[in-house]
Amino acid sequence: MTATLQKKICMLGAFSVGKTSLVKRFVESIFSETYLTTVGVKIDKKIIDLSDRIVNLILWDLAGEDDISSLRMSYLRGSAGYVLVADGTRPSTLEVAVSLRRRVEADLGPLPFVLLLNKNDLREQWAIRDEEVEELQGSGWWVQSTSARTGEGVEAAFRTLADRVAR
Amino acid sequence: METLPASVAEQLQALTFSERAVAYLQVDAGLTLVGAGGHLEAYGLTHLRLGRPAAEQAFFLEGLLPPVETPYIVPSMELASGRVADVHLVLRADTLWVVLLDVSTERDAARRMQQKAYDMTLAQEREALLNRQLQAANAALLATQRELQASREALVRAHEQVQAQAAELAAWNKTLEERVAAQLTEIERMARLKRFFAPPLAELIVSSGDERILESHRRDIAVLFCDLRGFTAFAESAEPEEVMALLHDYHAALVPLIQALEGTLDRFVGDGLMVYFNDPLPCPNPAERAVSLAVAMRDAVTALAQTWLRRDYQVGFGIGIAQGFATLGQIGFEGRFDYSAIGTVINTAARLCEAAKDGQILVTSRVATAVAELADVKEIGPLKFKGLSRPLAVCNVEALRAA
Repeated sequence: MTATLQKKICMLGAFSVGKTSLVKRFVESIFSETYLTTVGVKIDKKIIDLSDRIVNLILWDLAGEDDISSLRMSYLRGSAGYVLVADGTRPSTLEVAVSLRRRVEADLGPLPFVLLLNKNDLREQWAIRDEEVEELQGSGWWVQSTSARTGEGVEAAFRTLADRVAR
Repeated sequence: METLPASVAEQLQALTFSERAVAYLQVDAGLTLVGAGGHLEAYGLTHLRLGRPAAEQAFFLEGLLPPVETPYIVPSMELASGRVADVHLVLRADTLWVVLLDVSTERDAARRMQQKAYDMTLAQEREALLNRQLQAANAALLATQRELQASREALVRAHEQVQAQAAELAAWNKTLEERVAAQLTEIERMARLKRFFAPPLAELIVSSGDERILESHRRDIAVLFCDLRGFTAFAESAEPEEVMALLHDYHAALVPLIQALEGTLDRFVGDGLMVYFNDPLPCPNPAERAVSLAVAMRDAVTALAQTWLRRDYQVGFGIGIAQGFATLGQIGFEGRFDYSAIGTVINTAARLCEAAKDGQILVTSRVATAVAELADVKEIGPLKFKGLSRPLAVCNVEALRAA
């Protein structure tokens, strides 16, 4: 019988970068053009079959980070890993992701994580420089371009993270 | 402390239970679900099995168990059912109570406000981005404008340079035209003058720019007439081509001699030639030049005559020279002007030429006196000529003395 694990994963990032849309794309395979901001946290579950084991990913989609409502670290308690999301068309969101990663690591210690550069379908509006990304990759970050609209890179990113947290 | 009356408290509890959709789970120290109640279905918590791990059935508890601290609240948690709850964790005598209170309405209100704030922030961000793009576009436009201005200025400079060069060119052209016109005038004058004078003399007159020489004037000149003896008889018997060939050789031999001594060739009349000296170019010794020319002509024709004799042309050569004042200048009318000399001295020279036998150079006594140092002259005696009232003392120039 295949072992089943349950792991909590938090979605972190600035507001309106597409965290909820990424979860919706991953869990329900749909995308909605309507932007509805998240307040508090939204809980979803996705079962992933990693062939040697099954992982129940419990996805905590947290409210976006902004100047007023900063992250409640209490939400992250018990996380096995996290997903940092930045919007490729808004350079400031990458700064937020970098800041979150620093704070999370200070609070919870080193955990598996992935940085998703979302909205890759808006490549003509892309504003994040390749050099910045290469610098993060150079310091050990795992960076993945995604598009919640087209689904590009989404499944692969969550599956890879599931594999890492399940080890 | 004031307390609510029991009936109000009961009513409030009942109200909270129904309005807040209160539900609860009981979890023991082994993280097993040991109890559940309230509006569980509102949160999708159905088919719960007591005695099984709590987090397996209520997956939102994953990571929250066992609690690090109690009471502990996870606010505003949206569950898979769509309900939003504040999740309270309270420990009572080794049992963890997980109480869910519906805050969907509050969450929706908060979301509306949050949404507006984010929409505004996003709009501001977009505006800032557009402003940056606008500024960049403006800067690029400004740079392009500057480049354009520089190009325009360079173009204006180039245009001005071209105009200056064009003006210079126009000035050059004008100068050139004037030069061409001047040269053309000179060429025309030269062509006109060359008809009367030896080429070097014609060029001298042109370069002096003084054409007053062509006006009528009087001057003391030495006049030389020469022609061939027996030419008329030869012309009657010979073919025209032979006559023309002979004349060609004759003129070709004599004209260069005239030019060499700067004589003025007045005219050709068949085999006859009239040449004079001291006009228009003044010379100090016109008689000497005339005699020198006459001797050179005689030598040249003598040489030619030997050739003619081989062809059986019986032709001789005589010369007459006189010196005196004559009237000279341009005669004729527009389209047909000639430079010529008129006066008794011309007639005298012509008569002497007529009287000269083959090989003779007959000169007046004045000429003979003038060339006494230059030539051996033999007096022939006074001769009477047609058109002259008195007999004339005539001499023959036999040869030039060796220098």
